[in-house]
Amino acid sequence: MHQFVLSIAFGLVTASVLAIASVGLSLQFGITNYVNFAYGDFMALGAFFSYDLNNLYLHLNIWVALVFGSLLMGILAVGINRALLSPFARKFDKPFYVLIVTFGLSLVILNVIYSFWGANIRSYRTPVQYVKHVGPFLLTINQMIVMAIAVVLMLLVHVLLKTTRLGKSMRAMSDNASLAMTSGIDTQRITTITWFLSGTMAGLAGTVLGISEGNLTPASGELFLFVIFAAVIVGGVGSIYGAMAGALIIGLATEVSASFINASYKLDVAFAILILTLLFKPSGVFARSGKA
Amino acid sequence: MSFYVYTLFFFFFVYFILAMGLNIQFGETGILNFAYIGFVAIGSYVTGATSLPKANTGIAAGQHFILGLNLPFPFNLLAGGIVSSLLAVIVAFIALRRLRTDYLAMVLISLSLVLYDVCNNFVPLFNGPDGLYNIPEPMSGVFHLDSNQFVGFFAAVTGIIALIMYLFMNRIMSSPLGRTFRAIRDDPGVASTLGKNIFKYQITSMVIGAFFAGIGGGLIIQFGGSFNPSAWLPGETFVVFAVIIVGGVGNNVGLLVGALLVETLLIHLPAFLPDIPGRPGLIEYFSAMVIGIVLMAMLWFRPQGMLPERVRKFPAPAGELLNRDGHSVVAPTPVEAVATTNSAAQVADAHEGNDAW
Repeated sequence: MHQFVLSIAFGLVTASVLAIASVGLSLQFGITNYVNFAYGDFMALGAFFSYDLNNLYLHLNIWVALVFGSLLMGILAVGINRALLSPFARKFDKPFYVLIVTFGLSLVILNVIYSFWGANIRSYRTPVQYVKHVGPFLLTINQMIVMAIAVVLMLLVHVLLKTTRLGKSMRAMSDNASLAMTSGIDTQRITTITWFLSGTMAGLAGTVLGISEGNLTPASGELFLFVIFAAVIVGGVGSIYGAMAGALIIGLATEVSASFINASYKLDVAFAILILTLLFKPSGVFARSGKA
Repeated sequence: MSFYVYTLFFFFFVYFILAMGLNIQFGETGILNFAYIGFVAIGSYVTGATSLPKANTGIAAGQHFILGLNLPFPFNLLAGGIVSSLLAVIVAFIALRRLRTDYLAMVLISLSLVLYDVCNNFVPLFNGPDGLYNIPEPMSGVFHLDSNQFVGFFAAVTGIIALIMYLFMNRIMSSPLGRTFRAIRDDPGVASTLGKNIFKYQITSMVIGAFFAGIGGGLIIQFGGSFNPSAWLPGETFVVFAVIIVGGVGNNVGLLVGALLVETLLIHLPAFLPDIPGRPGLIEYFSAMVIGIVLMAMLWFRPQGMLPERVRKFPAPAGELLNRDGHSVVAPTPVEAVATTNSAAQVADAHEGNDAW
């Protein structure tokens, strides 16, 4: 029983990381209508930017490094979209090309990371962690900060989408891009902003993943990508709130199951839930018409 | 030196086989199978496990795995191909139902990672992270070959198998079955109004492709004598895609060119270069990057590949009589002509139409 309660706390931490990552992926998917298979490598690259700011240059505090590393990744994501993905999406208006290109991009970024940072396992420089009792849970300060970041970020995304003009434009574009364009929305500007948000959230997610797991490797983002896919599909592709719900479901399920079965099968639990969703509710929990 | 040359030839033939398998799924039927390398791996493991004796006995001492049938050469390879096909049936039944292309790709790439994860963690299945090793060299006992001669001999065997599989694939592609595959790729809606059961044909295509993947994987483990999870991370699937797209989607001879350019020139030739001192693995990273960049450049500048698909056209004969409905009164004689090039754009059309899934 005690183990079970503890695993719920871990589940919430994983769900927090997953929620940041899934919302970032979903935002971009909703606007551009294709999946970014390089998203896991965006995460890893952002994590390594933070790592360098934290350990190498400047020696920033990890949370400051997190902000700047993520923003750097956001800017890079805009550049990648401008230089590569958006031309492909325009030239061949079929999603198939861009899928292959993002798949290729993932290979390129992964190997860029390997060439610059090597294959070693690294970890961030953080203050010594003490475990604290929070209600029935045992958490470190870092884990609590990660959860707080996720909650604040989800609220910000909610406010952005529901109350601001930019959010309204994004939702309009996600529903029907050409209609949004004819209504006078600057779709190119929205796309750029979305890529910036998506890249920044990828960087955030990659870094907090490294913080909460205690280590980072170039391939860690790519392995995590599949858990993001599970969360996004379970929640309903293209739905931001679905992504949040999916992250909670998958995060809790993977960690809670780890207290019953061998922890190395966490990924397989996520996949089993993914398969069950596909069999019984293929459009996901929060289905959106036209996106599934 | 000759050892290297034979190795190059071997991987060239194997990637030709692998590319044919993915081509029938992706190039002919329009299924974006991002889990392809998983099928290769299963073929490899099953071939290895069936050619070894019982686990933890004899040459398999210290290894844990299932099967252990001690099968002689061509049968273990066939076992690999068949098990890989069976896996394809299961996967197709779950994943091909009602899924849009990009969902399907997401599910399949996840599947690839999960297969990897299971094989890596569940030691009793295929020996976990160590993988299978000490696989007996096929037929070297019969011909009394030492390990150097074996490399050349097995490269030749692989060449013959590749030729047989090429002829087999050509038969499929020019048969009514192949035409149906292409019809589904080009427009699933039209194909289904013609009474074709799309789901059934997609499963058939997955099964054929997976068989090729399994055979290719089996050849890899027979050649090297070992196989472990690090050999089949999802990025490897991308290499096979690169072979197809560089060579020419839907063109088997093009795949030969693609296998030569991508697999031989970009992957295995650089692998023989000496390592840069102090930076282990840098060459490998660079060649992977180059493959990614080459593929993007290819898609941008020549999406139909080096050798484009040859499209048969059946034009109505000039001056023929038409009835009131505009149909020919005289049955038109098919004229086979190499006419237009079918770019990958048409493959993309098939994907667009997949919304019906």
